[in-house]
Amino acid sequence: MRRSDLFAIFLLVCTLLFVALLGYGELRQERDQAGREGNARLVRTLGLTDLALFTEARYTRHLSQADHHAPFQDHPLALEHFPSGSMVSPPLPWRRPL
Amino acid sequence: MIHLSAVTKSYNTGKSNEFTAVGDVSLSIARERVTVLKGPSGSGKTTLLSLIGCMSRPTSGRIRLSGVRPSWLPTGEGETELDVTSLPERFLTDIRRHAFGFIFQQFNLVRGVSVLENVMLPALPSGERRLEITARALALLERFGLAGKRESRVELLSGGEAQRVAIARALINDPLVLIADEPTAHLDSRLSRQFMELVESFRAEGKTVVIASHDPIVYAAGLVDDLVEMRDGRLAPAEAEPA
Amino acid sequence: MNRSLERQRNILDFTLASLLRRKGKNLSLLAIYIFIVFIIASVTFFTTALKREALLLLSEAPEMVVQRLSAGRHDLISHDYAEGIAAIRGVTAVTPRLWGYYFDPTTGANYTLLVPPAGTAVPGVVTVGAGVARNLGLAADDLLPLRSYRGESLLYTVEAVLSSESELIATDLVLMAAGDFQQLFNMPPGFAVDLAVSVANPRELATVAGKIVERYPDTRPILKSEILRTYDAIFDWRGGMMIVLLMAAVFSFLVFAWDKAAGLSAEERREIGILKSIGWETGDVLLLKFWEGCAVSLSAFCLGVLFAFVHVFVFSAPIFAPALKGWAVIYPAFRLTPEVSPLQLAILFFLTVVPYTVATIVPSWRAATIDPDAAMRQ
Repeated sequence: MRRSDLFAIFLLVCTLLFVALLGYGELRQERDQAGREGNARLVRTLGLTDLALFTEARYTRHLSQADHHAPFQDHPLALEHFPSGSMVSPPLPWRRPL
Repeated sequence: MIHLSAVTKSYNTGKSNEFTAVGDVSLSIARERVTVLKGPSGSGKTTLLSLIGCMSRPTSGRIRLSGVRPSWLPTGEGETELDVTSLPERFLTDIRRHAFGFIFQQFNLVRGVSVLENVMLPALPSGERRLEITARALALLERFGLAGKRESRVELLSGGEAQRVAIARALINDPLVLIADEPTAHLDSRLSRQFMELVESFRAEGKTVVIASHDPIVYAAGLVDDLVEMRDGRLAPAEAEPA
Repeated sequence: MNRSLERQRNILDFTLASLLRRKGKNLSLLAIYIFIVFIIASVTFFTTALKREALLLLSEAPEMVVQRLSAGRHDLISHDYAEGIAAIRGVTAVTPRLWGYYFDPTTGANYTLLVPPAGTAVPGVVTVGAGVARNLGLAADDLLPLRSYRGESLLYTVEAVLSSESELIATDLVLMAAGDFQQLFNMPPGFAVDLAVSVANPRELATVAGKIVERYPDTRPILKSEILRTYDAIFDWRGGMMIVLLMAAVFSFLVFAWDKAAGLSAEERREIGILKSIGWETGDVLLLKFWEGCAVSLSAFCLGVLFAFVHVFVFSAPIFAPALKGWAVIYPAFRLTPEVSPLQLAILFFLTVVPYTVATIVPSWRAATIDPDAAMRQ
């Protein structure tokens, strides 16, 4: 078997895998449809406003309901949205034990 | 077959370190003969070889080829004479690839790659089918007693084997002219004489052979048809012939 | 067979043979490359899918939420406000909402306590989100102990656990009756946390919001479009942040690749000289280098993107989980629905394959234009 043919086969397999993954994506979209509708119902009946992704603090739990700039408050040691964040260290009780 | 008239090759033209490697050489190389360029190192043999082999262009003078019909030239009748002095690189490469086979002093094999792959190298860009190239390469390896080494990496070969691989590579495109630069420099006397036997067989097959060497085994060999002596980039007076 | 195709195949054959010579070096280069593509593709897939999920769900969110501010902070809002707002023309319904946060000191988790607006909840009984159930090891009919703001220990019967599909929106919820909520937080009756306002004509939302602020200057209406925009921004921002941080890695890789290619080793230079001397044209040498770049970068692109897809959509991005989780105790276990656009793939392709291939070819250019007799003269 020529190396160039092997490489072509490799690329072909990758392309097929891409197609298969896109197909899998479609399949999942269909399968997840019921769950999505259930979630939409839940959001409607409970009047939810936010994703439950970040439950650590109230301004992260309800990003859209927090004070104007609160959504951009960040992990104390991460790069900060506001320049002041690089100068003010987090209050002691909030620091993580190293 | 190859005619050089008043050919000069200078390097670093116009700079302070300009030097002329070949000066005012006029020479004809005859078909199906063995021509040896003889002279001490630094006499301009290699530069002259590269000019003959269309590897470089002369600074001044003309080089003409006859009996060579490149694919891009329309087919016509009779012998054409081709002035290669001013051809663009593309065409020059095409001529070089089909008309000349080169055997270098350092063998110039590509390390890490198999013997077979090395022999096939010059034929790859032509767009020939790989099967055909492989078949030709295997036949050549067979001829030079290297069939068993086809998958070996070239750096593991002995000097004699490496040279035979280089020869096989020079022959892969079935050239009209074989050009060898100091072919015996890295060989012992026995291998050098074996090389000259090979040269004789090439001539018998109708190939033109041009060798640059200062090795007596080469230039004193009985099969040498023409001896050209060089010194300081010029033809030594005795051998100089009119263009 | 077509000659030019055959030429490509012949040269590709040799490219691969020569790449395989330095197996260790080239494979480790490929591995780093795959990893970079993998991370960038993962970030892109993850944030796009999450954003889409958020937009899809939150399009069902209340059209407007009205908060009352007190000294610049979110405060309880009296039912009188609800009546006043309901009287504004164009408003179809005002629903007082009761919700808040409960910090569970034993596990360190934050729960979101919520009273279903329909008033269907039974006193003494709660429904919990899957994350809460997981955190406390709860199942239906178990008891959930909570400590009230007056210091009493209160026990609630868990009626049900919300489905696992709802984790992304409801993992930390505890649904309870209004009376229980008020007792737990020691909240006076007649007050809500905020008001959900429905408007007959969505185009009048901004007008209605203006009227509300005019009538109650201490309120802050939040429109659904703002909610959606928040999420749009947050994922763009977070995704962008990741990419920016990654850029350092990408650039160092580029510099490394450039250096490797630009500082062509003496060996590589020698090889190019040999190829030229045995009859390869400059174009043939560049084709060789082109395939060299392509073979590495195409492989890296394909494998990186495939791995990223599996990582994000099959295994739910375990590599990003710690970053998203932060200090949170409750983290939703969710599976993202695959969402890949050809445009995304195209952008990834141009960000990864093209620069590397160019970085391989360009430096070889000069080496490839050397005189063929250079190899003889060395």
